[in-house]
Amino acid sequence: MKGLARVTSGPDALAPEDMISVPAPRVDAQALVGNLLLLGIGVLFMLPLLWLIFSSIDANASWGIEMPQITAKNFSDVTTSDNVTSLYNSFYLAAIATIVATAVATLAGYALSRRRIPLKKSLMLIVLFLTGIPVSIMIVPVYQMYVTLNWLSLFPTAVFLGVTGLPFEIWLIKNFIDSVPIELEEAARMERAGTLQILRTLILPLALPGIAAAAIYGFINAWGSFLIPLILLSSPGDQPGPVTIYSFIGAAVVRYGDIAAFSVLYSVPVIVLFLIMSRLIGGGFLLGGAIKG
Amino acid sequence: MARSAQAITIPASLEMPSGPRQDREHFQWGSLLLLLPSVLLLAGLFLFPVGYAFYLGFTNLALIGPTAQNFQFTGAANLQTLVHDSVFYQSLVLTFIFVFGSGVVGVTVLGLLLALLMQHAVGVIRAIVGSIVIVSWMLPPVTAALIWYAFSTANGTMAVLALNPKADYLHTAPMLMVCLANIWATAGFAMIVLSAGLRNVPAEIIEASQVEGARIWHRFWSITLPIMWPTIVTTVLLVGLLTLANFSLVYIMTAGGPGNSTNILPVYSYQQAFSFDHLAYGALLGDVMVVIATILAFAYVRVARVTI
Repeated sequence: MKGLARVTSGPDALAPEDMISVPAPRVDAQALVGNLLLLGIGVLFMLPLLWLIFSSIDANASWGIEMPQITAKNFSDVTTSDNVTSLYNSFYLAAIATIVATAVATLAGYALSRRRIPLKKSLMLIVLFLTGIPVSIMIVPVYQMYVTLNWLSLFPTAVFLGVTGLPFEIWLIKNFIDSVPIELEEAARMERAGTLQILRTLILPLALPGIAAAAIYGFINAWGSFLIPLILLSSPGDQPGPVTIYSFIGAAVVRYGDIAAFSVLYSVPVIVLFLIMSRLIGGGFLLGGAIKG
Repeated sequence: MARSAQAITIPASLEMPSGPRQDREHFQWGSLLLLLPSVLLLAGLFLFPVGYAFYLGFTNLALIGPTAQNFQFTGAANLQTLVHDSVFYQSLVLTFIFVFGSGVVGVTVLGLLLALLMQHAVGVIRAIVGSIVIVSWMLPPVTAALIWYAFSTANGTMAVLALNPKADYLHTAPMLMVCLANIWATAGFAMIVLSAGLRNVPAEIIEASQVEGARIWHRFWSITLPIMWPTIVTTVLLVGLLTLANFSLVYIMTAGGPGNSTNILPVYSYQQAFSFDHLAYGALLGDVMVVIATILAFAYVRVARVTI
């Protein structure tokens, strides 16, 4: 499975084994300057992260940067039931969004990859165009729609979050199924296997890395969304992680260490999922190859 | 390639088909059934809202009050407001700076520089710097905004390193700070896409030019850049759209302030709709963003000649 993904997706930009197995180039002046420059950029990129790391373990954290008085108290403080609920809400929103979008995107991706469909090129262009539409454009009409339909709650919001990731998921899965050899399917067709049977027994296992990557993309997209839950969820008990962070900042007594600790708890799942995704398929394929430029 | 090893494992007992071929050559109604769920969801919750926004932009819909329920078509009234709205023009200029200055130029150039440096870097440095840049990109937008707020405010890391702890750069140079934050948060994306593109530059060509003793800059301008051009165009479009959509970063760092100085269109649209209760005017500002996104996409299709 992995071999297939590798062959079709090109070398994996960021798989850890690549980074380690690359032999050190011959050290000359030019290479030295290049390495130092890269290291310098890396240090600059690290600087903003310092506050998050230090403050999350600092007993006297503030917006400023200072040597932390190391404590684990911030982390235990933020695991109150309200905060745990907001992380659960984030999980619920992201899980429903992922399941809905990935299921329908797999069906559509299969049809667009394998079937003769009138105006297929136009359809794919529309999908590509929708991939690039900023979500903030839709927030007023969707709010108005959801008010009218009385949908301002978790499940309909989750479905909308799923749809915002749907165009890219279709694109990704379609391209991945394109790379699955068609011979197996032709053989199954000769045995008169039904479409759903082919999807379940052939396409699903063979395109699993691509489908999983699309699912993870959908999850990260929904997990990170701030504007949509902020507008579409009215009940305080429904608020997900990012809205909770936002309310921390505006609170009467700002507890900086807690904000940092909670942000770490909220952010770590995304990083872990990204690592899994870049193992499944190359990061380069996911983002560059998905749109054949 | 076509005859993969897996195909051999299919039972050899298969008979020749005795009916019409059921592969991609024929249109099947069942195909539409497979597309139906996606089409319904995209039509209902994507295309319809975008279209509906164009209608709402020409009504008097408000968040609260009598026209929250009974809004009506008011023709070009909002458009009149728009052309006389100085904040809108300011917002348009700021959006341009944000999308082109920070996104297209800043992110793409830094991403390309990173991709080029990574290509020849020592493994350890590559792994460490690559991880840092990618974590910066993967962090949820709200976390990135929070980090940059702390980074650029008084007593923040930036002020301390400048040996001027009292300096509040977020207040004195807010637009620069949100642009830098966007570059920081998006460069990892550009780096990954462009690294993948760099791998398509054939090694033989590079080696040949090395043998001929071509200088590094010459090699970059005359070989790498032309081969990389389609990937760069793709990156520019994607980064432009990502930046145009970057509401959370700016809203949390500055909320458009101080005094509208960072009020890019997504933030101004939100502000009009949900802070000033002018939902219809907020929708119209959103329509302007649809137009901008469409122009970006069309320019891309023209320049890159997308193949599907």
